[in-house]
Amino acid sequence: MLTRRKLLVTSAAAAVSAPAIVRSAMSAEASIKICNFYALSGSTSSTGKTQFDGVRLGLEKLSKDYAMNVEQVTVDSEGNPGRLLPKIINELQNGTRLFAGGSLSSESLAIMPEIQKAGGVYVAATGADEITGKNCNRGTFRWLVSTYSAVQQTIAPLIEQFPNAKRWYTITPKYVFGEALLTNVTDLLKKKGLEHVGNSYHSFSESEFSGYLTNAVSTKPDVLVFLNYGSQSSKALRQAIEFGLKDRMKIVLVWSGGLEQYEEVGADLLSGVYLGCQYDHQIDTPVNKEIVAFYQSKLGKPPTYSHIAGYVDNYLILEAAKRCGSSDPAAIIKTLEGMKYEGPTGAEEVRAGDHQCLKDYYLLKGKEKSKMKSGYDFVDIVSHGRSFQPVEETGCKMT
Amino acid sequence: MLYVFQVLNGIGIGMIYFLISIGLTLIFGIMNFVNFAHGAFYLLGAYLGYQVALSTGSFTLALITAPLALAAIGWLSERYFLSRLYDIPHTYQILVTLGLSLVIQELVISIWGPVGTTVAIPEALRGVIFIGGFPYPKYRIFVVLFAGILALLVWFLLERTRYGALLRAGSESTQMVSMLGIDIYRLFSATFALGALLAGIAGVLSAPLRGTDPFMSGEALAIGFVVVVIGGLGRFEGALVGSILVGVVQSVMSSVWSEGANIMIYVAMGLVILLRPRGLFGRA
Repeated sequence: MLTRRKLLVTSAAAAVSAPAIVRSAMSAEASIKICNFYALSGSTSSTGKTQFDGVRLGLEKLSKDYAMNVEQVTVDSEGNPGRLLPKIINELQNGTRLFAGGSLSSESLAIMPEIQKAGGVYVAATGADEITGKNCNRGTFRWLVSTYSAVQQTIAPLIEQFPNAKRWYTITPKYVFGEALLTNVTDLLKKKGLEHVGNSYHSFSESEFSGYLTNAVSTKPDVLVFLNYGSQSSKALRQAIEFGLKDRMKIVLVWSGGLEQYEEVGADLLSGVYLGCQYDHQIDTPVNKEIVAFYQSKLGKPPTYSHIAGYVDNYLILEAAKRCGSSDPAAIIKTLEGMKYEGPTGAEEVRAGDHQCLKDYYLLKGKEKSKMKSGYDFVDIVSHGRSFQPVEETGCKMT
Repeated sequence: MLYVFQVLNGIGIGMIYFLISIGLTLIFGIMNFVNFAHGAFYLLGAYLGYQVALSTGSFTLALITAPLALAAIGWLSERYFLSRLYDIPHTYQILVTLGLSLVIQELVISIWGPVGTTVAIPEALRGVIFIGGFPYPKYRIFVVLFAGILALLVWFLLERTRYGALLRAGSESTQMVSMLGIDIYRLFSATFALGALLAGIAGVLSAPLRGTDPFMSGEALAIGFVVVVIGGLGRFEGALVGSILVGVVQSVMSSVWSEGANIMIYVAMGLVILLRPRGLFGRA
């Protein structure tokens, strides 16, 4: 028979041991399920497959570091938000609540409301401003910086470095990410009193850039700015150099794909070109050195930005789970908001107001082939820093 | 001057498209076979060319060996596999050749990885010349001239040789040619090999311009079919004029409505279908 005394003693014992139970719930036997999605097929799958490798190896490390059993679900977004959405809904119906990834901004924007509705958490790996801007919601977070930050940390330093560069031409992919980059570039050029002499939009599937480059040449720019990404930016850059434009103007690629893109393009084409990037394996921080050493041991080469994006997105979820001692999405969200941690770029923080991670963005410059110290030493870091709009200017109204 | 240069640039692009589409129009128009693996032959040509250039340092060797390898692959595919599909409806031909295309694409990814590569332009062809103040790459001029010479050779083969006459006759009536004692199927194998060789040449020549990437076959196939529809099935002159028209539309539109440059190719195709369904040079 349960007496009042027994009840009181039992409750006290439970209260004392509860944290231990919760902690042990997140220890070696605990299981946390994370769904990662990337374009593993289709025309954007080159980066998707690298992201997937980054996640796979990253979770191998993280699950040991945290002594957690991480159940990873992989979904192929096919680079198509329309095909991705039903797959994510299906995962939500299966009870999955923790998500990370994305290869295109349109993918993230499509699935964010569904995850939010289900009370889940999503760490986005895509760049459109809207993700932590006007489309922000309580369930979505982002490590990589937005287009605003990327432009501020690439174009602004170049404006300082080249005061005689007055005429700027842009080549822009016609979709949400490209438009965001273009808006930020034109705003900055206007603010600095510089001339935006023209822009050529191109379709998402374009591979012939000679016409757009001809448009650029006709305006006699001092700087040619590529606002595209991935294999499109590689093709555009290749053709720009083929047309001899590197000798006539500065060329900058605001959102480069990192080491895998530099390997694709090659040092001969890359030398002298300015590149913006979220990450470089040469970043000199203790956390980055540890991560690079791990991936180097697994891949036989340094990790690329795509690898690290996958790693950090999952790290954020697991670190928050560890800190709050729970895999409950609401607890993870609360812990992530304002969370400070040591990331690959140094001390980083998840800003509570819009769920954007405050981290550095890098301006790089392609090296001469003869100056490369190794087969992966394609670039020098020119500068790096953080530029983020105040939350009230991002358009984010957290719901 | 900008538009004049865009037209000239468009002709250059068009000659590259001609290389992609001439093989397809031979196979589609003359053999009446819908080959959705044509883009994959172009892809394979680009990667084989890349590998030879990387291993030997010689682009010339790549330009010789890769297309010959594609010719062999094309011949073997046709002889032992695709020839069984001649008598089945086109929809099944599409299904099978699409499957072959996907197999080739995945094979390329498993051998060379999912990320593209760069093929260096040969040293002698680097640099630009200036036309009215606009730079134009020497390599593109080489491609245009090469494509022009190839066009002449293919025309000569089709119009002035016994092989060409037999092929054109076979496209009208396979039975009649067979009854004359000609092995029409051996002829078709040779034509398929020729189509694959031409796709391989297109791949090798395009690689320094656009790099290689495992998904380039889809784009090549789309352009190829647009040209065939515009120019007319099986018509050499149709492939030439259609290619140039597509290239010029794409180039000029990049100045008129840049984001629509790609889509205008398909609008042009739609207009041709509406106004002249058999294509500009197609037979009634």
